[in-house]
Amino acid sequence: MPLTLQPYRPALVKFQSLIALFVLCLGISLLSDKFLTGANFWNVMRQISVNVCISTGMTLVVLTAGIDLSVGSVLALSGAITAGLLRNGIQLPDANLYIGFTVLGAMLAGITTGSALGWFNGWAITRFRLPPFVATLAMLTIARGLTMLWTEGFPITGLGESFTYLGTGWFLGIPVPVWLSVIIVAVAVLVTNKTRLGRYIYAIGGSESAARLSGVNVERIKIIVYTIAGALAAVGGLLVTSRLDSAQPNAGTSYELDSIAAVVIGGTSLSGGRGSILGTVQGAVIIGVLNNGLVLLNVSPFWQQVVKGFVILLAVIIDKSNSKSE
Amino acid sequence: MNPTTDRRKMARKPLLPRPLLYAIELALFGFIAYNSLYIRKLSDIKAAGTAAAGAFQAPQYARSFWTSKLLPAAPGMATDLGTLLISLKTDKDKAFAAHSHAMGIGNIRYFLIKGEGTVTATSDNDVTVTLPTGEPIHLATEFVFGNAARDASGLINITEFDNTTDLNNVSAELNDIIRKQVIPGLKASAKPGTKLSFIGALELNQAHLHTNDLTVIPIRTAL
Repeated sequence: MPLTLQPYRPALVKFQSLIALFVLCLGISLLSDKFLTGANFWNVMRQISVNVCISTGMTLVVLTAGIDLSVGSVLALSGAITAGLLRNGIQLPDANLYIGFTVLGAMLAGITTGSALGWFNGWAITRFRLPPFVATLAMLTIARGLTMLWTEGFPITGLGESFTYLGTGWFLGIPVPVWLSVIIVAVAVLVTNKTRLGRYIYAIGGSESAARLSGVNVERIKIIVYTIAGALAAVGGLLVTSRLDSAQPNAGTSYELDSIAAVVIGGTSLSGGRGSILGTVQGAVIIGVLNNGLVLLNVSPFWQQVVKGFVILLAVIIDKSNSKSE
Repeated sequence: MNPTTDRRKMARKPLLPRPLLYAIELALFGFIAYNSLYIRKLSDIKAAGTAAAGAFQAPQYARSFWTSKLLPAAPGMATDLGTLLISLKTDKDKAFAAHSHAMGIGNIRYFLIKGEGTVTATSDNDVTVTLPTGEPIHLATEFVFGNAARDASGLINITEFDNTTDLNNVSAELNDIIRKQVIPGLKASAKPGTKLSFIGALELNQAHLHTNDLTVIPIRTAL
């Protein structure tokens, strides 16, 4: 009797991301003795945390059959706003007033900024029926320009230890960014699996017109989803800024691509309605491990981009193939 | 009464009375706002010289370095440019080891130099000074940038800084001081034919050394 993988196909499809991750880890650990070390493990986890935050929001957007290209720029602006307010506050010379921001206040201002930009994305997409690609591409440029204006093109540094703890600190032996991303993922899993909002998101991605006919307020849900994506990009911005103790005007450049890659590799369909937050986490881990492995193996940064591009392409091809067979 | 409507009404009934709910929300907002913001007199903040406690202040650091360290030490520390040029031509590596400084690793290194000569030309970008040996050098008056002013003396220790951004900001501030305090006087007084003495910072590449048409960042000039 010939050996065939056909009976195992459903299991292979279900666990394809985990299998890919295992093969990747095995390959890198054979080629580099630095990969399977505690220090490198936590380093990778810390790096992945930012992408997990952004990709969680991106997953919600993609599940509604949308896309958000602005997350990298929103991340930069939110981080810059936080750093700027923390460092310089708001100065009103005419009134001889200085409004200072505590770490909590500056972080809330950063997250509010991200949420507002996300809300604007959702509003523009639903109000003017713009394709999400176009609306968020415009926001990518707007937010980057605002970041340059706010920072005047210079990094904002010296943010204090209480703020940098967010990106560099440890709690119960685990880096704080990892805790934060775990909490965000847990909440997102609950929202997508156990709440009405989650069901509506899947319904809109499956068929927007059917969802509308079923009484779902599609516009409202979309605005909520883009607002959440903006807020989570802002959280990513806080992590990056805190980790570097510096808000860089060009922070987050091309983060949207890593985020989309994580979502796609994690099995979320770009046409919406199918995918999961946990799949995205696996995708983010794969991207993170791939980045780390390529660095450890001394692969040129230019080749790293080529390799990542092919991995994304492969993931989309596999996704298409699975969709057809279903 | 329709039982379905009745059930819906019951389901929508809030857990707390609305006024109490608003009061809790208001209190929560007030608590967050109180812990997020603080208001001070701007004049007090400026007088304290710091807008964010504990943060590194590059302008103050640069001003202090300029007046308390660099200017007093420069005349004694600076290498005579004519002598340096001869040393570079005879034993480049020895000259770099003896007279140059740099914070990072690499071939770019900085020299604190002094010299005198005759102004032979002026332009928007520089003042050309011809040394007694006949070699012309340029004192930059327009493009003052880089780390030469910060690193040439070797008086700044990299361990004083928490991050490279602070370090880079010091360079930017020192260059700003030069633009505001040194260049205007130099541009006003440098006329072709006048004798000029100068102290400056010079950047050279050890691996690809060129000693022709040197450009010096001026630190102090005198007629």
